[in-house]
Amino acid sequence: MNLVLLGINHNTAPIEVRERLAIPAARLADATRTLLHQPGIREGLILSTCNRVEIVTLQDEPSATENNKADLLRFFHEYFAVPPHTLQPHLYEFREREAVRHLFRVASSLDSMVVGEPQILGQVKESYTIAREVGAVSSQLDTLLQRAFTVAKKVRSETQIGSSSVSIASVAVDLARNIFGSLQGKTVLLVGAGKMSELAARHLIQQGAANILVANRTQSRAEKIAAQFSGPTVNTEAIPFDDLYAQAPRADIIITSTGAPQKIFGRSHGQHFLQRRRNRPMFFIDIAVPRDVDPGMNEVEGCFVYDIDDLQQVAAANLADRSREAAAAETIVSNEVERYQQRLQSRDAVPAILALQQNAEAIREAELTRAAKRLAALTPEQREAVDALTRSLTAKLLHPQLVALRRSTEGSESNTKKQE
Amino acid sequence: MSLLWLRVAVFLYGIAALAVLPAALYDRPRWRHIAIPATTAALLFHFVSLAEMLNAAHHSLLVDTHETQALLGLILAAAFLLVYWRYKTVSLGVFILPICFLLGLVPAFRPGQETTPFPQFHTGWIFLHIALLLAAYAALFLSLVASLLYLIQERRLKQKAPTLTWLPPLETTDQIALKTLLFGLPCMTAGLLIGSLIAQQTIGPSYFLDPKVLLSFAMWLAYIGMIYIRRHSGLRGRRAVYLSSFVFLVVLAVWAANQFSVVHRFTTP
Repeated sequence: MNLVLLGINHNTAPIEVRERLAIPAARLADATRTLLHQPGIREGLILSTCNRVEIVTLQDEPSATENNKADLLRFFHEYFAVPPHTLQPHLYEFREREAVRHLFRVASSLDSMVVGEPQILGQVKESYTIAREVGAVSSQLDTLLQRAFTVAKKVRSETQIGSSSVSIASVAVDLARNIFGSLQGKTVLLVGAGKMSELAARHLIQQGAANILVANRTQSRAEKIAAQFSGPTVNTEAIPFDDLYAQAPRADIIITSTGAPQKIFGRSHGQHFLQRRRNRPMFFIDIAVPRDVDPGMNEVEGCFVYDIDDLQQVAAANLADRSREAAAAETIVSNEVERYQQRLQSRDAVPAILALQQNAEAIREAELTRAAKRLAALTPEQREAVDALTRSLTAKLLHPQLVALRRSTEGSESNTKKQE
Repeated sequence: MSLLWLRVAVFLYGIAALAVLPAALYDRPRWRHIAIPATTAALLFHFVSLAEMLNAAHHSLLVDTHETQALLGLILAAAFLLVYWRYKTVSLGVFILPICFLLGLVPAFRPGQETTPFPQFHTGWIFLHIALLLAAYAALFLSLVASLLYLIQERRLKQKAPTLTWLPPLETTDQIALKTLLFGLPCMTAGLLIGSLIAQQTIGPSYFLDPKVLLSFAMWLAYIGMIYIRRHSGLRGRRAVYLSSFVFLVVLAVWAANQFSVVHRFTTP
């Protein structure tokens, strides 16, 4: 097997280069077919995401490494119309064991821009499905990719790499879930407008928030924002800004991002809201600078106030946690690469072992046929005993050779590792 | 045989109490797959042990403290499994399962030798009286633990400290705290009623002057007061913990009042 992985990613290439190589999902099948038609390529897969474009191939000629690379570069050049000299400084290339390691790391989200993000595994699976459909992935690459999926799953289940949020919006959602559990049917009030607050609201809707109230000093703007969130499972309502304090107790979560120079919600508002809500908790996400919510409101039992700095601190702490978990994940990947290589090596020894056994069996049968006349007088039980005896003799004679063969395969593998 | 089953149950409670630590504190699902089956198996063995023990003694009455303790452990384990089944959280197990283990430990290895000299108490009603009151105590204890978890999680959210992922969300702990109390109330009411009726028939009016009995009715009033306050003012957090702790102290006082009670000292010295 000659496994070659060639690609660019967010670490090696700027967006200007990545976008020239990006393949839309609709064209991935066609690109994979074209790749398969390149000379010497037996199996192949293309992974194209916003952060990476990678080609994994299994090639026929193990020795002609430079030719392999040239073929792949030609594919890039022809398919994307990108000259090799533009591409070459950004390309990375992995072979054999290192290609396996890289693929495992990519699938486990260890090579992602945001380590631990969950989308990459789905993207690798999508590429795999397309490659299978067009017949570009069959035996060996199939085994490798299945293994990559298993490793990714193992990393997710045995480490906490993906358990904490690292973006402001997802941190806000996580905090809301720590307070309310399920967000099904919860009411969110947006006070003011801003990209981040709208993003946070969208995240909350994705988690089940069912009612969106919007308050803005300009009523038409409030109505416009409310209309953006409207959907079959979401009720939206633009409320007049003058009614803000009367309507606020309806909301479980309040996201504020106004440009007001003074605080909109003070501590006494919090006490009043809680009284009206019979102490059901309220979560204030204050994204505004200067802040819209008096930090003193956090002292009111049942009110939870997080400003932009608080959210950023949580995100940073979570990112640090992920880095720690990534170290544990790297160990899992290394062990799995080792295990995969061993399995591959033992599989390489299988044809030789089979040939040896078949040859020995043929000799045994030939000798039995030759001696058939002399053994004619034997009873069926005696013939069976002779048969068993010859089988046992052959197996015992072959045993040291088979063991030596297996050891030599493992030995050559460990020598290769030492040289590396 | 009943002792053997109880020992097996205690051993399994021990395993579950250990397995629930990584399952809850480090969110390791593999350990949850040990803790929950171990608790379920322990509960079954515990139940078999209790049934065999009562059957062998030809009575339906839990005679000594050890037997009562074992039954309380069984009810707590069942309550933990019910909470897990309903809310999919093992966090309460961190507190409940070690208690189940400890409650079963003494009866399993140093069983009591006390017997009751009152054959008239060998009825299913007495067993029901005790079991219902123990269920109410277990519900109150569970509610207290849930309120404490609420308090811890609330504090961490307020202080903007990293949240503890093993703790359930605030609304979930609040639900557990309130629903267990609501479950405990009919148990306590029915338990006290049954006890009063039996005592009225066998002991007479002097029963109602017993310190344990008086404290029990005070406990019932406190319990009702607590539920009323929690339901009608939506009391949560610190004040809810104070309230639950107060009622729990009353429960402990009722439990300890056995020492001064005349009508509840059934056993021969």
